[in-house]
Amino acid sequence: MSDENDILAYLEQGGKLTAPDNAPARYRAELLRMMASFVDSELAGAAGFADVINQGPGITERIAASRIVLEKFDHGERVLKIMGAFGANTTRYQTVHPWSARIARDDDLGTTRRDGDMRLNVLHYPINGWADAVAMNVLMGAASVIQLKELARCSYQPLAEAFQDILPREQRHLELGREGMQKLVSEGAASEVANSVDYWESRVAASFGGPASRRFEMLQKFGLRHQPNEALLEAWKANIEKTVSETFT
Amino acid sequence: MAKFYPLKVADIRRETRDSVVLTLQPSADATDEFEFVQGQYLTFRHKFDGEELRRSYSVCSGISDGTLRVGIKKVDGGWFSSFANDDLKVGDTLEAMTPMGNFHSSLKPDEARHYLGFAGGSGITPLVSIIKTVMDKEPKSTFTLVYGNRSANSIMFREELEDLKNSHMERLNVIHILETEADIDLFSGILTPDKCDDLFGRWVNVKGADLAFICGPEPMMLTIAAALKKHGMDEAAIKFELFASAQPGKAKKRAAPKGGSDAGGICKATIILDGVRREIEMKKHGQSVLDAAISDSLDAPFACKAGVCSTCRAKVIEGETEMEANYALEDYEVERGYVLTCQCYPLSDKIVIDYDQ
Repeated sequence: MSDENDILAYLEQGGKLTAPDNAPARYRAELLRMMASFVDSELAGAAGFADVINQGPGITERIAASRIVLEKFDHGERVLKIMGAFGANTTRYQTVHPWSARIARDDDLGTTRRDGDMRLNVLHYPINGWADAVAMNVLMGAASVIQLKELARCSYQPLAEAFQDILPREQRHLELGREGMQKLVSEGAASEVANSVDYWESRVAASFGGPASRRFEMLQKFGLRHQPNEALLEAWKANIEKTVSETFT
Repeated sequence: MAKFYPLKVADIRRETRDSVVLTLQPSADATDEFEFVQGQYLTFRHKFDGEELRRSYSVCSGISDGTLRVGIKKVDGGWFSSFANDDLKVGDTLEAMTPMGNFHSSLKPDEARHYLGFAGGSGITPLVSIIKTVMDKEPKSTFTLVYGNRSANSIMFREELEDLKNSHMERLNVIHILETEADIDLFSGILTPDKCDDLFGRWVNVKGADLAFICGPEPMMLTIAAALKKHGMDEAAIKFELFASAQPGKAKKRAAPKGGSDAGGICKATIILDGVRREIEMKKHGQSVLDAAISDSLDAPFACKAGVCSTCRAKVIEGETEMEANYALEDYEVERGYVLTCQCYPLSDKIVIDYDQ
């Protein structure tokens, strides 16, 4: 019934998989890689943001930051569970990397992946104070929402469904960030916020990856990706331009 | 790590000429572990000639039936399905993992939802579980099942579906489609896009449906999903289930280890990735197979590099290797020659590693 070539043809035509047993070897590997990158980014992102909670100027801001930390850990855990069905050791995975480790603020990773975990490069940079955390959250939040919309269509249905559930909550994180940014600007911290936007903009942009690669072609055949990196990056740029012009006028 | 539990075969019902329904009884201390959600499956393991084989089969009971049953259709050359159909006896013990799978939607007892179900052949099994559960737990909901088979005598759960229909006349509608025999055009042949159009135009109300479940062979699932979308159904409302459980035969034996054991030596490693073979030279110590592949600009898959996530899994086709750590592969995978390449070092002078298997 289901020989591997049939499954590959099925995936190429938009078919969905629902169980690890069906996944051809290379599909399995790319899917796990995608999931590891998401899990590591959520765990590293939450760990970095946790330090910021106490820098929130008031209770409302600290609640918002706590919620973001809580939910990012939760999102990481949900996807890690799906990796577990493929054989990943979920207990050991949680402590295998130092999630809160950061490089120096001025270091430049460019687009070269750093050794260690699979987090997006932007999550290796340290956050510098509350306004910086808010700016980072707005820029990165917008990127996450765009990436999640893309991944919520992926051909591994349990993962697509997990991302569909995660998407509205990440969207809320972005809104919380935008509210925080408005507030900072209205309270006179506009130049501080603008500096942070400058700092994070190129770093978040780099997280979209390079233009059409061979990997993308393979992921597209597997139904794991649909839109190329450059299209997602363009959507993000437009989104950020709008947010910035709304915030600073 | 996956844990297997013993399940006693309490009953074997011959469903059609080439399929059986097994009633399984977990041991008293594992009853809770085998509580399932409608549409889930069990993964069994069994040794054939000393080699372990794993196969998944869907549960066909409703969640409040009080029994755990699976349907198994015999597949040509399928070791496990032949064993279950021909050799298994009442009183035997099988080993299975706890129920898994996401082919279901959460139950909403107060809502009146309309479901569509599409089954091809033995793909009916999880749908029987879903239909029974929905009829029982969502008293206001309705279900339309379109069920395709080769011929009338290959219809699994024919009587059970008939009984369900009689008990829920207003709520359950079953449309049989047979490849070989039927009087009206619509109900014969296979589900082509045109046939779907006919069906959706006259017999099945797609616009009014909340969710669709499809389980069957890949081409059938693609055709139906495309037709559902064309008729206005949102992609997120379509749920698929596909099993590779029919994969015949058994895994090839791992090549016998051979070669020298000089510790500081060089190994000729052939790496197969995306159908391409590349030969590289690597030191036997100090660098894992994965790192050697990557430093030779091969785009080998990996994530954690700590033996935990299993992304870098590959099969050793030839030669001997050892793993420094393994927290992810199970014994049966290792027996078959799988390694975590991030933890894998060559022992022999020549190895062949395949990422495509």
